[in-house]
Amino acid sequence: MMNAPIIDPLQGDFPEVIEEYLEHGVMKCIAFNRRGTLLAAGCSDGSCVIWDFETRGIAKELRDRDCAAAITSVCWSKHGHRILVSAADKSLTLWDVVSGEKISRVVLQQTPLQSRLHPGSSMPSICLACPLSSAPTIVDLSTGSTTVLPVTVPSDGNGVAPPSRNKYPDGTPYTLTAACFNKNGDLVYMGNSKGEILIIDHKNVKVLAMIPISSGAVIKNIVFSRNGQYLLTNSNDRIIRIYENLLPLKDGLGALDNLHKTIEEEDIVEKMKAVGSKCLVLFREFQDLITKMHWKAPCFSGDGEWVMAASASKGEHKIYIWDRVGHLVKMLEGPKEAVFDLAWHPVHPIIVSVSLTGLVYIWAKDYTENWSAFAPDFKELEENEEYVEREDEFDLVPETEKVKESDVNEDDEVDIVTVEKDQFSDSDMSQEELRFLPAIPCPDVLEQQDKCVGSSSKLMDSNQSGSPLSEENEQNGLAANNASSPLEEDTGGTRLKRKRKPSEKGLELQAEKVRKPLKPVKSSGRSSKTKSKSVVDQDYGNGVYADDGSDDY
Amino acid sequence: MASGGGSQQPTSAYKPYRHVKSLTAHQRAVSCVKFSNDGTLLASASLDKTLIIWSASSLSLLHRLVGHSDGISDLAWSSDSHYICSASDDRTLRIWDARAPFECLKVLKGHADFVFCVNFNPQSNLIVSGSFDETIRIWEVKTGRCLRVIRAHSMPVTSVHFNRDGSLIVSGSHDGSCKIWDANEGTCLKTLIDDKDPAVSFTKFSPNGKFILVATLDSTLKLWNYSTGKFLKIYQGHTNRAYCITSTFSVTSGKYIVSGSEDKCVYLWDLQSKAMLQKLEGHSDTVISVTCHPSVNKIASAALEGDRTIRIWMQDP
Repeated sequence: MMNAPIIDPLQGDFPEVIEEYLEHGVMKCIAFNRRGTLLAAGCSDGSCVIWDFETRGIAKELRDRDCAAAITSVCWSKHGHRILVSAADKSLTLWDVVSGEKISRVVLQQTPLQSRLHPGSSMPSICLACPLSSAPTIVDLSTGSTTVLPVTVPSDGNGVAPPSRNKYPDGTPYTLTAACFNKNGDLVYMGNSKGEILIIDHKNVKVLAMIPISSGAVIKNIVFSRNGQYLLTNSNDRIIRIYENLLPLKDGLGALDNLHKTIEEEDIVEKMKAVGSKCLVLFREFQDLITKMHWKAPCFSGDGEWVMAASASKGEHKIYIWDRVGHLVKMLEGPKEAVFDLAWHPVHPIIVSVSLTGLVYIWAKDYTENWSAFAPDFKELEENEEYVEREDEFDLVPETEKVKESDVNEDDEVDIVTVEKDQFSDSDMSQEELRFLPAIPCPDVLEQQDKCVGSSSKLMDSNQSGSPLSEENEQNGLAANNASSPLEEDTGGTRLKRKRKPSEKGLELQAEKVRKPLKPVKSSGRSSKTKSKSVVDQDYGNGVYADDGSDDY
Repeated sequence: MASGGGSQQPTSAYKPYRHVKSLTAHQRAVSCVKFSNDGTLLASASLDKTLIIWSASSLSLLHRLVGHSDGISDLAWSSDSHYICSASDDRTLRIWDARAPFECLKVLKGHADFVFCVNFNPQSNLIVSGSFDETIRIWEVKTGRCLRVIRAHSMPVTSVHFNRDGSLIVSGSHDGSCKIWDANEGTCLKTLIDDKDPAVSFTKFSPNGKFILVATLDSTLKLWNYSTGKFLKIYQGHTNRAYCITSTFSVTSGKYIVSGSEDKCVYLWDLQSKAMLQKLEGHSDTVISVTCHPSVNKIASAALEGDRTIRIWMQDP
């Protein structure tokens, strides 16, 4: 981020309140592009909406006439040019984002609940699909060919496992087997129903390593951090485990092959375990000992510093945030709607959660005004300090003061052109990254335009008298989206279905935190106090809209 | 015509700019000229309530944009050079299609006084505007909705500009302050200058977004490092005590600072040595706006009521 040098270090790094919510049909699953400038959301009607995350407006809608079934997952290609969508009608659809056109569509035997594009290439045609009741499958989207991956360590000694069909070999039927690619896509990490993590060479359909989890409980999720250094699993034993990836990020497959050559062990299972112990090492375990809660949609923050997961309990929208060391640092509580999906913004301390009702909530830091930002020479202190003045500090010698002002050598060279590479730059620049979709202004309706010209003072009047409610009704009646008065603009018109609705529960929780912080987090006291006040103000201002939102359903 | 000291770059001697053409189509003072980002077009705004799109190569008049009911103070190009946004004393901004049929696509209403300055973010999904109503507004390009109102200053806002990645906005005001805002949150991140006097008449990020060029009404241009809060360079010699004159970075041959001046000239300084390299004479009133072509050594300048022309200057080959 370019503003990193002037960001206030006292502001924390994780979200605190619902900043606003996005509404468009019933959204089921979400994914950010690599920089977090666009957010893709799969809907229950089979469409996929792409939100411009900066303006929080809809940038594009991908809709397939052949598909009206609910979307089960969305995934961006590395540089954001393509989106893979899996749907409840057993289909996988690959889209070109800019043109909004379908590239290919493959129908599987089973409904893919999750699908991931190969992360190593910018124009991937290979994906990993995790179907409802069969083993994870590699699908070639250009040919439609499928390769079913093994879900257990084979016993015949050559490492190649017979593909399992509707049931797992151990008899556990009809559950999802979680799997994901590693960072450069040469390996698949799978969590099976026996509580084992398998590392698979998907090209040769070969299990190369196995890491057993002590409890042996079914693994429900398996997710890599963005930088590829950490892996998390979520198991039926209600524990989220974080593993450190010991394999090199570049050629993990090659390193694994070497391990196989160097480790001598007759028994195939023991050998897989021995290799596995050189690939992943358990780093942390997270659980809630009191509530014994099941977790849902766990993931890492963009920088891998935090881990979050939602409560899988019905009727609650609770998101837990841990630091990587293992402390629970925050619990976010939203409206009484279960969490469907979660995503952490790749760059900013922003979390996006999808609720059962199909709304997408945006959780952000509650920025407090940093008063020192308004005075060039001010420094913010965390607490009072006794000031020791310099001997001549308050003497009246204005001339010397003036001279001191420019202790900069004006002859130093300045570089006004060069830009440093950012964290997203990598060697693969074969294709330019798609960071945003061009915003095309929707033309105003002409007659409204004419009416409004030169009558701004009148607009201001009507603005004060009109109640927000009547305005809202009026807005809904209008088809065009010409902004016609300052107030409705400021509060965010409803046409774009984007509203601000701080959750009441979240606010209560917030207020509670001020009184007794969960854990002494930097700056909580100072910032939270002003916070809860400002949020309440906001709530009053928009209460009408909040009510309205729920009526839409 | 050329005057001023030598550059510190021994490799190439400074090649002076020469007047190649005057464009006379505005009936009143010309307030702003800007080359499009792809370098094919030039747009000008005037107190005569119109904008004109010119071909940057042939310098012929392509189209006149009519619609504002009062004078226009500023204009901005979208990154893809498809759209122009204009800021007018009629309290509105307008988004125009810069391609045929050159329609006005949106009217952005909300400011309670003259809109004085405008810019697109690099993504060109947002527009920032500054007004005599002392606020900064952020608009969504697609819908024309006002996303945010920032009560930024205590006097008219004279300039607003996004940095390279669109995460920051810098604003300057007659209240003598220059502030940096978080573009997403609308919060003030830093106040660079906060003096009652002199007024800040223009601010702009450097092409790489690391520095800010600030003009003040004491005939001074300063280049600031905004993260340390210290200024690095001072450029002086021109006259600027009354108008919000724009200045810019020229990066196509050497690195120069280019500015208008109330002594009817365009000034060029060497970025590093701060030496004045050339004073372009020819306008018959205050030069209020200058713009540098993105790829060739071409400058356009615009002057006020007593002149009403746009002059095109090119460097000797």
